[in-house]
This record gives sequence, structure tokens and C-alpha cells, in this order.
Amino acid sequence: MGALTRTIADRGRDVREGVLNAGFGLTVLLRSGARMVPDLRLRWRFFLDQLIVCGLTPLPVVGIVGVFTGMLLAFQVGIELQAYGQAERISDILGVILFREMGPFMTAMILTASVGAGMAAEIGTMAVSEELDGLECLSIDPVSFLCLPRILALALMAPLLTFVGNVLAVLGGAIVCRTQLSVPAGIYFRNVVDSLRADPDSPFGVLPEEILSGALQALVFAIIIATVSCASGLRASGGAIGVGRAVRGAVVNCFLLIMVVGYYMSWLLFR
Amino acid sequence: MATVPLIELQDVRKSFGEKKVLRGMSLRVEPGETLVMLGRSGTGKSVTLKTIVGLLRPDSGKVRVGEVDVARAGREALSEVRRRVAYVFQTGALVNWLTVRENVALPLVERRELDRAAIRQKVEQTLKTFELLEAADQYPDRISGGMRKRAALCRVLVQEPAVILYDEPTAGLDPISSRTVAEQIRQAQEGERSALVVTHDLDLAFAVADRMALHHEGHLIETAAPEAFKASGNPIVRQFLDAHAATSRGASA
Repeated sequence: MGALTRTIADRGRDVREGVLNAGFGLTVLLRSGARMVPDLRLRWRFFLDQLIVCGLTPLPVVGIVGVFTGMLLAFQVGIELQAYGQAERISDILGVILFREMGPFMTAMILTASVGAGMAAEIGTMAVSEELDGLECLSIDPVSFLCLPRILALALMAPLLTFVGNVLAVLGGAIVCRTQLSVPAGIYFRNVVDSLRADPDSPFGVLPEEILSGALQALVFAIIIATVSCASGLRASGGAIGVGRAVRGAVVNCFLLIMVVGYYMSWLLFR
Repeated sequence: MATVPLIELQDVRKSFGEKKVLRGMSLRVEPGETLVMLGRSGTGKSVTLKTIVGLLRPDSGKVRVGEVDVARAGREALSEVRRRVAYVFQTGALVNWLTVRENVALPLVERRELDRAAIRQKVEQTLKTFELLEAADQYPDRISGGMRKRAALCRVLVQEPAVILYDEPTAGLDPISSRTVAEQIRQAQEGERSALVVTHDLDLAFAVADRMALHHEGHLIETAAPEAFKASGNPIVRQFLDAHAATSRGASA
């Protein structure tokens, strides 16, 4: 087989593998959803454990990244606006950008790297050490046992973490506005709140559309992260190298899906 | 009248890519007997066990557990097979983030057939029988290999299976622990329970077997009672037995 043919065959195998993985991820999500009502009562302890892993553990990182994201955005956008004498408008822009897009994206990236990678590693290690086979032999469905609590916990925690990160980002922006751009704090916070005020004509109803759309994106991203990471772990094989491959694959696939799905969600919500 | 075997494999074949692992494997496990399958490492003994519980599907051939054709069984039928046929993995396969007690209770909790008090009583009794009460609140990575194997055995025994499959139960253990495992296997086989033990440990094999068979190049050769197996004239069996004898002599020299 020539080098070109081999390359095409290898790429073909990669595509096939990608399609198989995507299909498997979808079945993990559907099976978890199907088992949610009958099995959640049995899994509540693991679910509570996962709430801590998915919510409390990444909180410090989300907080720090949030503050500095707000500071960075405020600084970079603020100095441009200052050139036009419009520095006070920074808070309108910051509120909208953070709550609509930046917050959910930044939080999703952090959760992918911290929580998602951890999920893929834990489950992948179980796969290569026959623990999953052990569960199957006890007639315990690994998807219900391992994936359902994780998907549900991350879906609940991600919107909350995103909100916390956004609030801290607004505070970070306030620090820069006050110290670097001479925007009074009172004006800054009033403009942020005004930019997030509910629009009576909005299809989102009485709640601010930026906050709701951000929460919806965070929820969808969380489901992507948990599902892809769990599926990646379940398919791990080949010892420690296989676990490493599963973790890398989970992180990369999560990043790609978040970017693509995030764009189309924004387009659907705000076109 | 011939008894219906609990487990029956007929001409089972299984390959992984180019590598043919099982080449016409046939065996029967009768009610109440312990069949020991000996063989060299990497010859497909564990693959045989995994086809019996449906963890692997054979490429061809029949795998029957009672009346169920495992190779073609759906999820429900397979679940029923796994209630009757329990598997003790070489590493134990305990869930690492559950304590020993929680691991042993796991199948009973998942089945939702007993209340909490009944589960607790059954688990405590089993742990006591296998001298694991002191380690009950430890995690698997904090206990010895021998204790992990005992915990894995407890986890299957609480299910009261009809058959237990043992995958290299003495692998990695010292001789004293290996002897303890042999005693525990005999203890677990009391009553009508059957067992299929996969091992290359001849001492264990002779200690627990009702029948012995040698796994060679993907199928069984020479199935016989222990004494007849020891006296076998089959050159491959003799080679296996003589190698063990030589190793034992070298160790005691």
C-alpha cells in the first residue's frame, strides 16, 4: 500500500472512529436519561458526591478566572472606548458579553479541563482494570451507575458556577473601571444592572435574556462535557496509555463541541 | 439418565484480529462439580470464562448456561445468566471508591430485593465467614491482594450463585495465602454449587478439582479426575506436569 493510500486509510479510520465515538456518546446520554427516574433513588449518594466534585471543587478556579476575565475585558475594551469618551459604556458591554457568552464559555473550558478530564480518567481506569466488567457481571449497568450521577450533577452545577463566575467577573471589571478608567462604581454597577434588565417584549419572558441564555448554554455545555468524558472513559482500553488517550480525547472533543454548539446556540437565540 | 450440564460450550471459536484464541473449545460443567482448567499463560483461559458470562461474544459455536444460549441472549436473559453464574476476577475488580463492606453489599443493594437490615446481616455474616470484618471499612487499595480476592469472593457469594467462575484465584499470592484461597474455594463450593477454576497453579488445582482439563492451543485436551490426570500419558499434559515438578524441585533445593 503506498504512502498516500495509507494516509487516506488512516484518516478514514479516524473518521470512522469519530463517528463511532459520537454514536456511543449519544447512546450514553439517552441511556442515562432513560434510567434517571428508575435509578436516581439508588444513586443519590453518588449523585451527592458528584455535586461536590462538579460544584465545590472547581469553584476557586472559576472564581479566580472570573475575576481576571472581567479585569482583562474591562481593560482592553475600556481603553478603546475611552479614546471616544465613552468609557462609561464599558459596563453595558461587559454585562452583556459576560452573561451571554464569555461566562458560559470560560466556565465550560474550566469544567472540561478539571471535571471532565477527571471523569474520563476515573472511568477509564475502571475500564482498564476490569472494574467495569465486574459491574457488568453483577448485572449493574455502568452507564446508570457511573454516568447518570455525573451528567446530572454537572448539569445542575454548571449554570450556578457560571453565574458565580459572571458576578465575580463584573466585580473584576469594576476594579479596573474604578482604578484605570476613572468610571465611578455607582455608575458602573447601575449600567451593568440596566444592561441585564428584562425586556417585556423578549421571548424569554420576565427574566433577563442574557442571564437565561447564559444559563441555557451552561446547561448544554455541561451535558456535553459530562457525556463526552464519561463515554471516552467507558471506551478506554490498553492500560495507562489507553486512559491517557481517553482523557486527551475527551478534552479535545469537549472543546470542539463546545465551540461549535456554542456558536449555533448563539445564532439561534440572538439572530 | 444424563444430567443437564449447568454450563456447556460446543465448538466455540474466538479470534482477536489475526490471533485465534479459542479454536473449537468444548466443555461441560455439571451440577455440584468443580472443573479446573489448567494451561499456560496467555492461551485463552480467561477468554473462555468471559464468553460464558457474555462479556465476550464468540465468533462461532454455542455457549449455554442452563437453557440460555449466551451468545444470542438479550439484556434480560444475560442478566439472569449473571445472577446464576458469578465471576471472581483475577484482580478482584472491586469498585475502588467503595469500602469492602459497600462492595460486598453492592449486588444486593442494586437488586432491591432485600431491605437494608437483611442486606446488612447477610453482608456481615459473609465478611465474618471469610475473616474480613476488620477490613470491612477499608478501601480496596488499602488492603492486601489476598484480602481483595476474599472480598471479591464475598461479593459473589452474597448473590448465592449456582456457579462461580474463578480467574487465576492465586495469581500473585504467596504459598500460604494460596492455600487459604484453596480452602475458601472449597468452603464456597459446599452444597450443590459448581465451579470452573482457571489457573496454572497445580497445587490449587489438585486441592479443589473434581475434574481437571488442560487448555492447549485454544481447546481442551485430556479432561479427567485428578489422579487420572496426574497419571496421564498425553505428552503435552506430561510436559505441563513435569515443568511444574521441576519448578517445585528447584524452589526446594
